[in-house]
Amino acid sequence: MARDEMTSESDLDWTLLLDKPVDPADLPTTQRIASKIYAAKFAEPGKTNIFGTMTFSHSLVHDIGGPDDTNANTTRRILLLLESYAPAGREAYDRVRRHILHRYVEDDYGLSFGSGQKVVPRFLLNDLSRYWRSVTVDFVQKQRADAGGKWALRNAKLRMSRKLIFAAGLLVCFECHLDPDAESARLDLRDPRGGTARLIQYLEQRFSVPPLEILARSVRRHARPETARLLFDNYDAFLSLMDNHEQRAVLKSLEPGQARTSEVFVQVREISHGFQEGLTRLFFRDNPEIYSLTEFYGVF
Amino acid sequence: MRPIGFSTGAVAKGDFRRALEVMAPFRLPAVELSALRLHELPRLVEASEELNLAGYKYVSVHAPSHFAPADEEQVVSWLTELAALGWFVVLHPDVIFRDELWLEFGDRLLIENSDKRKPTGRTADEMKLLFERLPGARFCFDVGHARQVDPTMNEAYLILQCCGPRLCQVHISEVNFFSRHDPLSSGAIEATRRIAHLVPEHVPVIVETLIDKGQSTIEAELHRAVDALRPTLPIAV
Repeated sequence: MARDEMTSESDLDWTLLLDKPVDPADLPTTQRIASKIYAAKFAEPGKTNIFGTMTFSHSLVHDIGGPDDTNANTTRRILLLLESYAPAGREAYDRVRRHILHRYVEDDYGLSFGSGQKVVPRFLLNDLSRYWRSVTVDFVQKQRADAGGKWALRNAKLRMSRKLIFAAGLLVCFECHLDPDAESARLDLRDPRGGTARLIQYLEQRFSVPPLEILARSVRRHARPETARLLFDNYDAFLSLMDNHEQRAVLKSLEPGQARTSEVFVQVREISHGFQEGLTRLFFRDNPEIYSLTEFYGVF
Repeated sequence: MRPIGFSTGAVAKGDFRRALEVMAPFRLPAVELSALRLHELPRLVEASEELNLAGYKYVSVHAPSHFAPADEEQVVSWLTELAALGWFVVLHPDVIFRDELWLEFGDRLLIENSDKRKPTGRTADEMKLLFERLPGARFCFDVGHARQVDPTMNEAYLILQCCGPRLCQVHISEVNFFSRHDPLSSGAIEATRRIAHLVPEHVPVIVETLIDKGQSTIEAELHRAVDALRPTLPIAV
C-alpha cells in the first residue's frame, strides 16, 4: 500500500495477479474487486490502465525486455517487486516474485560466467534504471496529454516517491556485492556446485521490505548521520505535505506557470532538493565503495 | 548406476502384490511399498514376511499420509515391525503428532518434504525445524513436491543444501496443480536437472508417477527419471 507511506489522500493502485490456468471467470472476479474498492471510496486508478485490472504472471516473467515488454508490463513488474502488497493469499504473489527474480539472476550471464569480482545483478539494475527513466519521460508525456493537469502533484511524486523507488532498487543491487548477509550467495555463485538460489533468496528478502526501509538499512551502513537527516527529514516533510488536504489540493490544480510563485510548490521544491542532496551524498560522497559501484554501474 | 525403482502405489493403487508382480520383470534394485491409506498398513504388515523382496537392494515403506492423533501409536507399532525387517520408513511430517513415538526409528525414519497443501515441511527452514525435533531421522527428498512449492527450484536447492547430509531416498514425479503425481514433463525434467548434482549417485530414486490407469509405462518413466537426474552443473566461474 504505497510503500507503507499511505496518507489520507492516497489513491489505491491495485491489480488481480493471476498465476494459474486461464478462466473466463477471472474478469467478473476482477470487476467484483473493483466495485468493492470503489465502494470503499478509493479513487479509480489512472487512465493508463496499468492498474485496476488483471495482470497475468506470464508476461511479467517471460517478457523482460523485447517488443512485448510494454511500459505497462515493466511498470507492473518493477512495482510488484518494490512497492506491492498482497492483502490476501500470498502463494501466487510470492511465486511470481520469485520467478521474476529468478529470471533476472539466472539470465544474467555476467553473474554466473563473468570474470569480474563485483556481484551486482546488472540485468535487474538495468531494468530498474529503464523503469526510472521511463517514469521521467512519461511524466512529460502525461503533462502533454493532460495539458498540464495535475502537473505539480506528479512533479512532486517524481522528485520524491518515484525517485525513492529507483534509489532503493539500486541499493538492493549494490548490497548484493557489499552486504555481509549476502556472502553465502556470493560464494555460491563462484562454486561450480553452487548456483543462484541464495542470491535469489537474498533479493527476495531485501525486496520484502518497503523502499524507505531499504534506504534506511543502507544509510545506516554506508552514510553519515547528516545524510540520513537530509534524506529522512525531507521525506517525512514530503509525506506530511501529501497528507495535508489543502496543500495537496493546491498541487492538484496548480499550473506549471504558477509553480514559481506557489508557496506550496516552493516547499515541494526545497524538500526535494534536500532529498536529492541526501541521495547525492549517499551515492557519491559518503562511502567510497558505494561511489565506486555508482560510478561503474550507474551510468553505463 | 543410480539405484532406481517404483512406488507400488503408483503401479497398482492399493494392491502391493499386483504392483510387485508387474515390476518383477524389470528387476529393479529399489522399491517403495505404499501404505498411504491407513487401512493399507496392517495388510502390508500381515503380508510383509511372505513378500518376495529378495531381489531388491533397497526397500522402503511409505507411511499413511493421513491419520488421527489417536491412531499414531498403532501406526508407529505397525511401522516398527516393518522397520525391523530392514525397511526404511518414509513419513510426511504433518502426521508427526508426538515426536517421542518416532525417535525410536532413528535413522530408519525418512522425513519427506511436503507439497504446498501441507502446513509444514515445504521449505528449507521448515525442514530444519523438523530435524531439530527428530535429529536421528534422515531425509526423503520429493522433487515433485519441491517443484510444486517453488517451480524455480530455488527452494529445492536450499532444502538439499541444508538436508543433503541426511539424504537417503528421492521421490520423483511431476506433482501437478492439484497435487496429483503425473508423468514427468519436459519442464519437470529440465527443472530436476538443475539440482541433480546435489543428489549423490548412490541415493535410491523411487518413481511416484501414477501409471495404474495407463497414464504412462514403467519403461518410459524410468527413462525420464534417469534423464531428469542427469546433472547439469550450474555455473562454473
